[in-house]
Amino acid sequence: MGEAAADPLTPRTMPRGRTPAIVGLGMTEMGKVYDRTAAEFAADAVRLAVADAGLSLEDVDGLLTSAGVGGGVGLGLARDLGLRDLAVLSEMQSYGSTAGQMVQYASLAVASGMAGTIACVFADAPLRQGTSTGAAYGSRGAVGWRGVLGASGIADTTSMYALAARRHMDTYGTTQDQLGHIAVGQRAWAGMNPRAQFRDPLTLEQYHASRWITEPFHLLDCCLVSNGGIAVVVTSAERAGSLARPPVHVHGWGQAHPGRSLLRHENFGLVSGAARSGPAALAMAGLSVSDVDVVELYDCYTFTVLITLEDYGFCPKGEGGRFVADGTLGPDGKLKVNTGGGQLSSYYLWGMTPLSEAVLQARGEAGERQVADHDVVLVSGNGGVLDHHSTLVLSPHAPGRA
Amino acid sequence: MVGKVARDAATAEFFDGTARGELLLRRCHDGHLSSPYATACETCAAADLTATPAKGGGTVVSHAAAHRRDGTTLPLVIVELDEGPWWWSCVVGAEPHEVTTGARVRLHHERADGGSEAVPVFRLVAA
Repeated sequence: MGEAAADPLTPRTMPRGRTPAIVGLGMTEMGKVYDRTAAEFAADAVRLAVADAGLSLEDVDGLLTSAGVGGGVGLGLARDLGLRDLAVLSEMQSYGSTAGQMVQYASLAVASGMAGTIACVFADAPLRQGTSTGAAYGSRGAVGWRGVLGASGIADTTSMYALAARRHMDTYGTTQDQLGHIAVGQRAWAGMNPRAQFRDPLTLEQYHASRWITEPFHLLDCCLVSNGGIAVVVTSAERAGSLARPPVHVHGWGQAHPGRSLLRHENFGLVSGAARSGPAALAMAGLSVSDVDVVELYDCYTFTVLITLEDYGFCPKGEGGRFVADGTLGPDGKLKVNTGGGQLSSYYLWGMTPLSEAVLQARGEAGERQVADHDVVLVSGNGGVLDHHSTLVLSPHAPGRA
Repeated sequence: MVGKVARDAATAEFFDGTARGELLLRRCHDGHLSSPYATACETCAAADLTATPAKGGGTVVSHAAAHRRDGTTLPLVIVELDEGPWWWSCVVGAEPHEVTTGARVRLHHERADGGSEAVPVFRLVAA
């Protein structure tokens, strides 16, 4: 009480009492799946996650929901699932950082005793049968400030991230080839992921030959678009011990929101919120970046991976390009990054893409692509145009034993 | 060529400005200048801002080249206006390879055919 606001680099300890753990993971069929609405995907995902944990819906006393661009997932999900008398219920939105944030707020609720077992779910169904992927994330009406931007030719987030990436390239000498190494490395992981939408091997030549969307981004610099839903269940480590799956303990977390969208921003494209969120999460866990075994990063674009690796401190600022091109990525690489293929190659369910793969790796359930050393798994979420960041530090070991 | 855009309550003053060929920055009591988007001063967070037109000069902070469905390419830019605020738009009358970081640009306004507000864009200034 009465202490000064914590500096993000000052270690904070886990709340006393009930330490949180992820005990359930539910993943629906994903990709070009047209037979369900977003709300139906969300309900299916929660049911799968609760069953995965060895629990029933009557055990759930909290629900946090997150909808994609298509909307349709919200407070009504509690009714859809027949959940009654919940202690926690909210609809959340921080774009791609939301999934990590839901786990953070669920962890706080568990640690405080506010609720015991909380389901966190994201679902989206932007793809419509017979229309293009581009149409799924198409323009939303040329009115007002958003309309000015679109009328000026900056009509999508790809253009905005392209402007971020070019600034990094011009400032630090990052090259197109280096971005390509990220796409190629992740595709190699995707080849071992039965859930991945793109599993065929990819070469740098194929990367360079893929069509331009907005330079410096080729098609293969951009995430795919998926329909589907993913949920996780968070409860106390104490309770987790008696459940069906190996618990994945939540050791640390952080968020950062630079707050300069479309305004003058000296760090735009150079340093993101990850530079605050990552060290804060690791400090809370009492760990450093050298302790991390597996890294699951939000990868809406290849560039997002590069800047997050730099900001988390895996390499010095500005050297991300050389770092990723130097045998770092892919199954044989020095650092195990986006081991499921990520949003670039596997499935795009916002922050649930890196989080779901992190849970599988921490449990040791990632099959052919399982990383042998998986004691510490670092997970990022990123929303807007590098405007919102969340970090989780996960481990199969309870706090104090990682 | 720019696209169509309609005003709403939040952008009425801004589009009155673009109709006169002005990009309206926001000035606080202390004289700090902020982007047209700003509702709080970018420097001191003051909420009481008044409109003041940008002089029109700027420097490219970053650039990209959008490949559009009709086969054309459009150079996109973030520009640091000489007054300090940034503005995201496109460069007209130039090919993408001509637009580089650090290039000098000048504000210009274009309006789509068939009923639209005018939109601020940039032209390269000959070196």
